[in-house]
Amino acid sequence: MEHLIVGFQDVLNPATLFWVAAGVTLGYVLGAIPGLGKATGVAVAIPLTFYLAPAAALGMLIGIAKGSAAGSAVSAILLNTPGEPSSAPTAMDGYPLARQGKAQKALKMGLFASVIGDFVSTMILIGLAAPLASYALLIGPVELCAILLFSLTFVGGLSGRSLTKGLIAAAFGVFFATVGLEAETFIPRLTFGMLELDDGIALVPIAIGMLAVAEMIVQAGNIKALDVESAQISDGASREDRVVLASEWRRCLPVIARGTLIGSVVGILPGLGASVGSFLSYGATVRASKTPEKYGTGMIEGIAAAESADNAVVPSSLVPLFALGIPGSVIAALLIAAFILHGLTPGPLMFKQQPRLVADVYAAMICASLIMLVIGYNGQRLFAQIIRVPLRLIIPGVLLLCCVGAYMETGSVFSIYVMLFFALLGFFARKLDFSFVTFLIGFVIGPSLELTFRQSIQILDHQAVNLSGHPIAIVFILLTLATVWWTTRDNGRTAASQQRGDCGQTDPTEAETKHIKKGG
Amino acid sequence: MKHSTEKHTTGRHLLGAAVALALGWTGFATAASAADDYPTGPITMMVGYAAGGQTDLVARATAKVMSEQLGVPINVVNKPGAGGAVAARELQKAKPDGYTVLFQASTVINSAPFIMERVDFTPDDFEYAGMITAYQVGLATQKDAPFDTLAEFVAWAKENPGFSYGSLSPEARMYMEQIAKKEGLEANIVPLKGGGDMINVILGHQVVLALSGGIHKKYPDEMKMIAALTTFRHPSDPDVLTIDENGYELGMDSRTTLILPKGTPRPVLDNLATALKAAETDEDFKKIIAAANIPIMYFDANGAAKEMADSYANNKRIMESVGIIQK
Repeated sequence: MEHLIVGFQDVLNPATLFWVAAGVTLGYVLGAIPGLGKATGVAVAIPLTFYLAPAAALGMLIGIAKGSAAGSAVSAILLNTPGEPSSAPTAMDGYPLARQGKAQKALKMGLFASVIGDFVSTMILIGLAAPLASYALLIGPVELCAILLFSLTFVGGLSGRSLTKGLIAAAFGVFFATVGLEAETFIPRLTFGMLELDDGIALVPIAIGMLAVAEMIVQAGNIKALDVESAQISDGASREDRVVLASEWRRCLPVIARGTLIGSVVGILPGLGASVGSFLSYGATVRASKTPEKYGTGMIEGIAAAESADNAVVPSSLVPLFALGIPGSVIAALLIAAFILHGLTPGPLMFKQQPRLVADVYAAMICASLIMLVIGYNGQRLFAQIIRVPLRLIIPGVLLLCCVGAYMETGSVFSIYVMLFFALLGFFARKLDFSFVTFLIGFVIGPSLELTFRQSIQILDHQAVNLSGHPIAIVFILLTLATVWWTTRDNGRTAASQQRGDCGQTDPTEAETKHIKKGG
Repeated sequence: MKHSTEKHTTGRHLLGAAVALALGWTGFATAASAADDYPTGPITMMVGYAAGGQTDLVARATAKVMSEQLGVPINVVNKPGAGGAVAARELQKAKPDGYTVLFQASTVINSAPFIMERVDFTPDDFEYAGMITAYQVGLATQKDAPFDTLAEFVAWAKENPGFSYGSLSPEARMYMEQIAKKEGLEANIVPLKGGGDMINVILGHQVVLALSGGIHKKYPDEMKMIAALTTFRHPSDPDVLTIDENGYELGMDSRTTLILPKGTPRPVLDNLATALKAAETDEDFKKIIAAANIPIMYFDANGAAKEMADSYANNKRIMESVGIIQK
């Protein structure tokens, strides 16, 4: 604790705070741009920090990661094009809210949920890094496999109006995830001789293509109607549309608490990532809600659920890095290099050898949370104006950014082709009302599920009996079975009683067309 | 940004070609004089792995030193894919003028062609400006494991059939298959994705042994190495025998190599080699490399070409002897 006070003394000076704030701002803007996310931001900024003091440099890099997780909500809400794949669920309810003239309210809730998730998760990192990390090691491939299997059942809750279509989309996601070198024999699957596909299809071009580019095509399709509507939207006509009301706070706080918890746990577990966190939190919230059919039409809880989990993943994914030296996420892997350059080797020894520098980093992380609140709060007023810009001006700009974003990660034009292919797929998915959310869940979870399943078979020595030594896995397998039974029963009943078919979330496009019809 | 430079280079290239055509023999003279005052502009250094890994770390540190030496900026560009083969293909298409280089593990040339059907590189397809660090590949296990050497492990494994071994590459699988075949062991080979995954399963006691590309050296309190899989003993563990010394002739080496397109002028290679040598004694570079526990083993242009040819021949012999490729 006294270390932390010293840490604050080191960080609370104009120079260090400036760099942390610069990092958060940079991250916030990068996050808001489709395709340019935390990973790109941190990777590009690492050389820039060579010349800064360690506390400022590490604070800036972590600031970028935190800022971009929050910033990605902005474009999700305003343009229905999530800045990062992990903010896709934010767009579900955020965009309908923005279209209803409640952009500022949605942005504020997104920001508050982000900051709370981030702050609590940072506290978890500071207080529990060491003890939690040793528990995380108990979660081996067998347990992870069972947890991932359980996660897949959330597909049921996110399938939209048709469970069958949701499952088909998820199956397609898993299918595309099988492309690349097979993990055990290294035989290339479905690569058609292209070396670029050996490592599989990257998530970023897929997500940009399916979410952002496809959305821009759809919007270009009814540009007239949307332009008319944009002119009509008076941003925040009444105070109620601009601020988060006390009643909404009451409804959202438990959602944020759950999202933060889910995000923190997902962050600590190896190899899951922010997308899994936000999708799970959104799915859990829809499932827990008494009115799941309203999700997708502008439920503010949806934003709270997705954003709190999305941001909570970032600090907690540093837990395995700090406590054991194991990178739990791409960001953590990138940060290792930066930490070493600045004289801090991540791992248990760093608490003994460099307690002061660790405290500095912690203090910088807390400052970054608060700075994020200030910058986001002032920025959202400015960002909200985007909604009034005619779409014919926005679409070309977003498309350009999409191409840049797809290109950045691998530095090859091939990724842009991948993006275009999935834009086409995403376009038809929207038109035919297939959920791209379940597609992405299948794609994100599929490869990890396959790998951990194969690992489990080897570790269990090909004997199902050996599962008895893995109680955590057994619990999750039982939970999975129970959920599947519950979902199918529930779904059968809903289908029978509700012929209107308004169960689950509605596609944002649907909500938007409905709204246009109402407005015109 | 990167894209526009590329276009720019192509433009220059076309112009150069046109001039060369018009003037006939002067084409050669232009190339020679260009090589003499090399470098005059920024250099693009490709890395065939994603940002954040061990090779990327070394590449960025090397780029910093070389940039200071050569007086021009060096931009590190990550082009991950197929263990570097995607980047190597891209390098083959680049102009051999020294402004596009690849910083990569030598495995992309001395091992990938034997493992991946669609990769057919040979050492003669590229030029080499030097090598700077070596990978300390070895068999790693928990610090408290009941064996300290490969021989002791084999004895233990005979008593414990059905043990788990972590493998993150075809080579890793080959090692255990060969040892198991020779000694009659019953091994479960657990597929892993990358070094982070390897650390997880070792520290979490999910496997008893795993192949490590060198990352285990960062965990001296939790892990130990029982055999080096290189042809030399590791500078960090001089007492641990190599796999060859254990009686299995399977040792293979990989080193970070500065690779250039075929036809790059000799003065350019030497220029780069001299700049690379500065890394050997650079304090910052040594600090970064030491933190990651990677040994510096410098080779100049000639040494690198010889090492690449030798290791290619050695690996080919091993792959043939174990039946991965036909003679």
